[in-house]
Amino acid sequence: MLRFLVARVLQSLVVLAIISVVVFVLARATGDPLYLILPMSASQEDFDNARRYLGLDRPYVEQYLSFVGRALTGDFGTSLRARRPVGELIGERLPNSLKLAVFAMTVSLAMAFPLGVMAAVKKGTGLDRTAQIVSVLGQSLPTFWVAILLVEFVAGRWQWLPAGGIDGLSSYILPGFTLGWFVVAGLMRLLRSGMLEVLDSEYVKLARLKGVDERRVIWMHALRNALIPVVTFAGIYFAILVTTAIVVETVFAWPGLGRLAYEGISSRDFPVIQAVVLTTAAIVAVVNLGVDCLYALIDPRIRHAR
Amino acid sequence: MRRVSALVSVFVLILASLGLVLAGPGSAQPKTELTVALSSFSTEVLDPPLGGHLVKYYLSMMFDYLVGTTPDGQLSREGGLATRWESSPDFKRWTFYLRKGVKFHNGDEVTAEDVKFSIMRNIGKRSTTGYAGPLRTLIADIETPASDRVVIITKEPTLIIPTYLSRSLSTEGMITPKKYIESVGDDVFARKPIGSGPYRFVEQVTGSHIKLAAVDNHWRIGTPKYKTMTFRLVPEEATRIALLRRGEVDVVEVSRDRVKEVEKEGYPIHYRREEAILTMWWILGPDGRVGPSKDKRVREAMNLAIDRAEIAQSIFGGKAEPAAIPLGLSWSFKDVGFKQTPDMLYPYDPARAKKLLADAGLASGFNLDVYAYQLPGLPEGKTMAEAVAGYWEKVGIKTRLIPVDYPAFRKAWFDRSAPGMVGYFNIANRDWIGAYALLEKQAYSASKPSDTVNDAEIDGMLSQVMRQTDREKINTLMRGVYGRLRSEHLGVPVVYLHSPYATSKTLGSWNAGSVMYDLFFDVLASGK
Repeated sequence: MLRFLVARVLQSLVVLAIISVVVFVLARATGDPLYLILPMSASQEDFDNARRYLGLDRPYVEQYLSFVGRALTGDFGTSLRARRPVGELIGERLPNSLKLAVFAMTVSLAMAFPLGVMAAVKKGTGLDRTAQIVSVLGQSLPTFWVAILLVEFVAGRWQWLPAGGIDGLSSYILPGFTLGWFVVAGLMRLLRSGMLEVLDSEYVKLARLKGVDERRVIWMHALRNALIPVVTFAGIYFAILVTTAIVVETVFAWPGLGRLAYEGISSRDFPVIQAVVLTTAAIVAVVNLGVDCLYALIDPRIRHAR
Repeated sequence: MRRVSALVSVFVLILASLGLVLAGPGSAQPKTELTVALSSFSTEVLDPPLGGHLVKYYLSMMFDYLVGTTPDGQLSREGGLATRWESSPDFKRWTFYLRKGVKFHNGDEVTAEDVKFSIMRNIGKRSTTGYAGPLRTLIADIETPASDRVVIITKEPTLIIPTYLSRSLSTEGMITPKKYIESVGDDVFARKPIGSGPYRFVEQVTGSHIKLAAVDNHWRIGTPKYKTMTFRLVPEEATRIALLRRGEVDVVEVSRDRVKEVEKEGYPIHYRREEAILTMWWILGPDGRVGPSKDKRVREAMNLAIDRAEIAQSIFGGKAEPAAIPLGLSWSFKDVGFKQTPDMLYPYDPARAKKLLADAGLASGFNLDVYAYQLPGLPEGKTMAEAVAGYWEKVGIKTRLIPVDYPAFRKAWFDRSAPGMVGYFNIANRDWIGAYALLEKQAYSASKPSDTVNDAEIDGMLSQVMRQTDREKINTLMRGVYGRLRSEHLGVPVVYLHSPYATSKTLGSWNAGSVMYDLFFDVLASGK
């Protein structure tokens, strides 16, 4: 198990190293941030001064080594736009994204479980069809459109819920629902198909023959075995919710990691882009590592096969 | 089974919280708070020299300027730390007399040393403000003969010092506390700024908001109407309008195409009229103008080919006016006595445009690349570029739209790597000195790389403005520059843009003024 773990950690580190090079190169390929930072009236001298002050006059290799060296100690440099340590900015934004993701995932699970299970149990009924519609809509409606509609009507015209910003539990509902709906759809479909497969299996039939209560058969015996792909999906999606909620965070004025990434990209703030991408990659890598380890623990054949 | 019960409980809890919220009324805005929702905070840096050139909305609440201005941009002895100023006969020594008894938010008194320190810091080499460079070049020394007197010595005779250090331009004239900054350092100051303005810093959550609290009985505004002032960063317009409808904010930026809808609901709309000129220009080649735009007839044809009234109506929802003078900042016109007459407005005359092109030997047209990009405050940017390119197509110019972001255009412009191509900008309107500063950068050939006009006559007039200290002569020269820009068609002025702001129904009258990147919320909050 230890060898397996070490191998996976090393693989993750290699992935992070490759990502650090890619993001460093791509961020700079987008252009010079000084054309956004400096006013139109800036002279060549102003450009030279700013470039020197921000450390952008050094050779790329030197800049990269400096970035990696400091990143290893948790120092991602200073934001070119906000002029504050990037680590501090991420420290401010990441908890907001985490809280929103936890809320969205809770909503998703709370909706997906009853819908998915009941859709499988009542296959072919109105409930099943309704669940399918919810699922199709959740995966096909663009998140930005759902978000704008909710802001326009639920918050703006009907004034039922806050439109944006973080201000108490109620401010989580609209962004959480918008984020969660897509996940509900995925989770529900997985649960439904998993349950259908399990409900048709021999051991479930045996349980029923033995006279086990139907609710117990569904919620204990069947659901438990249909959960494995759902847990994987939920884990990965949690990481995605934390790190890529750019649209939702922008529409709902939510100061999270996604917005930080958006601000970084739109102002060519290299240190912020690099740090957010690396943080995102690290979160995804850690979640994947956790899922892999979980698999290996659940099924020893997996770790031996690798 | 227990897990399932737990999940069901969570679901019930969420529904319950939803129900609680739905049942409750929207939070009413206490009258002692002013909340402003803006689409962008620019850099979000609270230190004047680093805050750059677009963030005066909240900085001008926290900091006093050496020289104040009225909301319409006139220098004011009542609005700044200097109660009066005078120059030596040779216009090389400017003496500013400071208001006595003004204190920073930490209790320290504002002295001449603070003023000297602030100016030197604001125009220092790490500064990213709009006019740090020209001031650094111009200022030879700053003396502080008394605690309430500052003397700025310039290398050349000049009239610009009071305006450049005033609220009418950028942030170079903002006064910061020397002792505090020297004791805590630049980084701490940027996070916990202290000024002497009517509002003190309370909290900043980057990407979310900046909160300020009123100083009791400040010399600028007396007892403030609003105890707190919060600037919320809300990039999405639908969200800003929803916040206004819910009564969570008092002032919001709205786009020109949603004005009617918001106004219909009874929300007052305040305009900053002609807040910017949307103007296009050709990128120069390494040695000046190249390609077809070298020919005056081609430049005139390109101007005549555009239906500006239609653009103003259909793209800008009628919240714009056709513009006539390339780089013509209309707020400066009255300062220098320039009158834009109706005959200066380009008529929409595609037939004459075609004839002019034919006369120039380009009857079969020519290839023209047009950069298309969005700009802050100009969501209509790409649509406008498409429309203008369409008009040029109609007279035979073979346009190619190049979708880029603004920095890519600016790089091509500054590097002169795409001579003859066309780009645009919504240039903030400003007074005559601000206009001069713009012209010096964009119409004075020695100001490479930002020059867009290559004209010896204009160069001559602008170089005289720099040395001139007689205001009447300056006015004559500036009028000459504007006249020549128009008569030689040295750019493609499109429209003047009006910027709408919607306010809560209870806000009352508000003069957003005509100073660039400032909305004068202190005047709104004034209890005087």
